[in-house]
Amino acid sequence: MLLVKDSMTREVVVLSPETTAAEALAVCRERRVRHLPVLEAERLVGIVSDRDLRSAAPALGDPGRVEALGKLRVSEVMSRDVVSARPDDPIEEAANEMRERRIGCLPVVENDALVGIITSSDVMEALVQLMGAHEPGSRLVVSMPDRPGTLAGAAGIFGELGINLVSTVSGPKQEPPPGEQGPWRAAIFRIDTINPAEAIEILEQAGYSVLWPPKP
Amino acid sequence: MSGQAAIVHDMSLESYGFGGDHPFNPLRIRMTLELCEALGLLEGYPFVASEPATVDDLTTVHSLTYVRVVQKAGRGGGDLWDLMHYGLGGGDNPIFPDMHEACARVVGAVLEACRLVARGEATHAMCISGGLHHALRSRASGFCVYNDAGVAIARLKEEHPGIRVAYVDTDAHHGDGVQWMFYDDPEVLTVSMHESGRYLFPGTGGGEERGRNGGVGYSVNVPLEPFTDDSSWISCFEDLVPEVLRAFEPDLIISQNGCDGHALDPLTHLSATTRLYEHVPKRVHDLAHELCEGRWVATGGGGYDIWRVVPRAWTALWAAVSHQELPEKVSEDWLALRGAQSPVKLPHLMRDDPADYAPAARAPEIANRNRRTTEQVLEKVLPLIH
Repeated sequence: MLLVKDSMTREVVVLSPETTAAEALAVCRERRVRHLPVLEAERLVGIVSDRDLRSAAPALGDPGRVEALGKLRVSEVMSRDVVSARPDDPIEEAANEMRERRIGCLPVVENDALVGIITSSDVMEALVQLMGAHEPGSRLVVSMPDRPGTLAGAAGIFGELGINLVSTVSGPKQEPPPGEQGPWRAAIFRIDTINPAEAIEILEQAGYSVLWPPKP
Repeated sequence: MSGQAAIVHDMSLESYGFGGDHPFNPLRIRMTLELCEALGLLEGYPFVASEPATVDDLTTVHSLTYVRVVQKAGRGGGDLWDLMHYGLGGGDNPIFPDMHEACARVVGAVLEACRLVARGEATHAMCISGGLHHALRSRASGFCVYNDAGVAIARLKEEHPGIRVAYVDTDAHHGDGVQWMFYDDPEVLTVSMHESGRYLFPGTGGGEERGRNGGVGYSVNVPLEPFTDDSSWISCFEDLVPEVLRAFEPDLIISQNGCDGHALDPLTHLSATTRLYEHVPKRVHDLAHELCEGRWVATGGGGYDIWRVVPRAWTALWAAVSHQELPEKVSEDWLALRGAQSPVKLPHLMRDDPADYAPAARAPEIANRNRRTTEQVLEKVLPLIH
């Protein structure tokens, strides 16, 4: 779960270095993609985005633009220094790579062969799945001391009440609430109930801090 | 009964409930009808009986496998894992004896209400047991086993090909089940105004949920901020609902009149009062006359302050459905009947006193955000509705 291969697109639209910019832009429009790996003899030699292609030609409205796009080859525009991911990489590693390098996608390569592509939209989709946001549930943010057993204690309270957990995510360390010793940590529980009132009451009695809608 | 209002009910509908301390308590139906009767609002309106929905009715929107699991569960059968997979057992939707029959009766009653109105035997009809809007195709959810409005709309579409149905849901929770059942259908407009799903169940109902394929634009969602009060809610309702209904030109309107957005409701964080629950049905009534010769079916829905809120809110609903004035005072007889049992002091006036519900400090900010949300939703969907 949450590996690159679980979220990547396997049918990749690719270009050859000899493709013209005009043809490549037409492919972007028709296939509704924005990032295109470039293959030469089955090997990944570069990557190009619709933005790279457009900005390589004279500006829109320039009479020379159409002709330039017809002449320009993908090999002249593509970046050759391609950062790629592997299918078994954790998705957070791919996300971090995209974030650090400020790029929108990574081709996925295994044994020198292109096997897929992962984009920032795929990472967002994975976040939605991870949070269980597509399944009915109530969302509770529960703050607790960062100690062994506190997360289990909170989860156990839901269990005692017969409430199933749709998803659980625990966040980074944070400052404790006023009057408490630090550090604390917050967890987000998505729970399968329309009626979380009793669970919230018991959590608060047990010393957890439940962040709920901001006070009126 | 032509041209009149009909109330579809019989005692058997009150067997849909989960027992014990469960918040979904059919006593609220009983107490509402007692209050209506004590105020004289049921004179000349005998209850219309109905048949339970058949398995064929239910499978217009539910899977047969799910219906079989519910039938079995109600007879004490079924494997625990299987039941959990279908949302049965556990906290929200505990299994109770004959749950299939009980819920099929509710669905049958709403179906009957819709048929009366569609055939012109009544202009408006109400069934407050209905409004089980969270039930999904193959899953019980949020106290809802079968989806009464979903089945009724599906049957109306079969019996009256080409009919356009508008579903208007003002329950505090998103009307997800009905929305998903008709998400790609341009003949069914679903409009849901509810507390934002950022915290609240079921979590869906964002303004960007607008339908799919041919149905894009025909699912309309207005997520309201927690602690939204009457005036903000009413002004968002007025800015959006008449416009989208006029653009859609329905042949029949079904309203889901959950009253769990009341400030006293224990399950949500909205701050409405009886003013909202008097306003909404009146306006839906006006729109039904303006757009579809009055054809309007009103159902209940959520509402978990069963003593102070539900009986008064749904009595106001019946007053609108039946063109009667809402009395000023709660009936003394009813107070005598129920007052001693109530764990809380019962109000003596049918309308809440605004002085008891002071506006929140953040009310202007909340109202601004709601206004922006409503404008954005309207701007996106209006050009798509034909």
